[in-house]
Amino acid sequence: MAATVCTVYTAQSLNSACSISTPSKTHLGFTQRDVVLFSSSGKKTNRRCSKSVITCAGETVVIGLAADSGCGKSTFMRRLTSVFGGAAEPPKGGNPDSNTLISDTTTVICLDDYHSLDRTGRKEKGVTALDPRANDFDLMYEQVKAIKDGIAVEKPIYNHVTGLLDPPELIKPPKILVIEGLHPMFDERVRKLLDFSIYLDISNEVKFAWKIQRDMAERGHSLESIKASIEARKPDFDAYIDPQKQYADAVIEVLPTQLIPDDNEGKILRVKLIMKEGVQFFSPVYLFDEGSTISWIPCGRKLTCSYPGIKFYYEPDTYYGHEVSVLEMDGQFDRLDELIYVESHLSNISTKFYGEVTQQMLKHADFPGSNNGTGLFQTIVGLKIRDLFEQVVASKVKTPVEATKA
Amino acid sequence: MATVSGLNIYTPRFLTKPAKEAPKAKPMIRLNNPWGRTHRFGNRRMQLRQVRAAPEGLSDKVEQSIKNAEEACAGDPASGECVAAWDEVEELSAAASHERDRKKGSDPLENYCKDNPETDECRTYDN
Repeated sequence: MAATVCTVYTAQSLNSACSISTPSKTHLGFTQRDVVLFSSSGKKTNRRCSKSVITCAGETVVIGLAADSGCGKSTFMRRLTSVFGGAAEPPKGGNPDSNTLISDTTTVICLDDYHSLDRTGRKEKGVTALDPRANDFDLMYEQVKAIKDGIAVEKPIYNHVTGLLDPPELIKPPKILVIEGLHPMFDERVRKLLDFSIYLDISNEVKFAWKIQRDMAERGHSLESIKASIEARKPDFDAYIDPQKQYADAVIEVLPTQLIPDDNEGKILRVKLIMKEGVQFFSPVYLFDEGSTISWIPCGRKLTCSYPGIKFYYEPDTYYGHEVSVLEMDGQFDRLDELIYVESHLSNISTKFYGEVTQQMLKHADFPGSNNGTGLFQTIVGLKIRDLFEQVVASKVKTPVEATKA
Repeated sequence: MATVSGLNIYTPRFLTKPAKEAPKAKPMIRLNNPWGRTHRFGNRRMQLRQVRAAPEGLSDKVEQSIKNAEEACAGDPASGECVAAWDEVEELSAAASHERDRKKGSDPLENYCKDNPETDECRTYDN
């Protein structure tokens, strides 16, 4: 038997940190600093390694989240990491402008860190950050692949304050890696590394309303400047960001309400959760009867809602040629009992106990969207990803056992 | 159900406590509203969460970048220069917004109460 060599990191998640070492292969940006080599000559180590060979390689589950700037990625990330347990914090003692968030199970990296052109470079060439020419997809692919294979990497940091690329930071392989940004599904190689992908699709009306909300207080901004910025970026957005939604396993679409005729305030939202069928370890949420078409107004004798009420819709559909299930919520929750009532009527939401969705929404009642479909569907997608992660881990533990049986 | 309806949305851990302190009045637990109506809460802790401008440096940069973009687009609104300039405005505005969020979370009382919601100074009352 050939001696196997395992690389073990000092990271907190020992399970996911093993891999077969490949000393001949040198990847750009890989670190040697924290690597401890175990030679598997002893029986004890050997057993550990033979297990590692099977279970550790590719144990990091990789999730992609795509959305434009200012469309709620950060909020979604906070909901997601909360569902996984433990708060996600920036790396301790590192660059204060790091874009990374780390919790016990999850590391979230921002794909802006793979900008190949800094702010000055983009200005000189006249390209936006949305343009693939401003991004280094080779490095993105190599590093995401390395982490998925259990190898730590030195990832660059794009500093959003200075617009410069700062010295890199060490990213150790977590149990769950989330890559969020403008282009997680743009490059085919990166896309193939994703175990699950989400696209946040914010309609133009809502995007405008959200950016007004975000920027109007900022000195120098006006309705005109906010509009000009959205319009100037739109051609690149349409060319490079929007097409990624066809690859997403789940799309959260945010639209203006239909409950109020000609509503132009943009306060009440209609949110669609579009879930691809046939994705491994992911079974779509449904309302009452899987695969039927259902229109449901929960407000009535049992539940009192305030104006303009709440409306749900569920149907099978096709989306860019894929079979999907679509769950839609229009309106907003005004009271706790409305949320509990709705949760108890949804099926396949992957909760671990009754009321978990409601509990998560309440825990973060101060996050934007906690009273409407954006918060509800973000929370549900978080629970679905937790479920997917647990299934992936279970399937990998099962594999070697089945192999020995055979 | 009485327990659930009496809980304060900022301290969900009270779920496990008996509802003896819960107000008998019909609870109007408003889940968040993204349009910044939170200041209408009759909750004293919410008043700490007011929108602050981003730190001076970033605010200045946002303001300057808007001026630059307007200048860059004076000639040709479809030019790469113009588009890149507005993209910079978006990037800086997003950075300023993240900075504000980060500041919001740095309130020492908020941080203390996250870990010690049961202490006297962290109790909140609904009206």
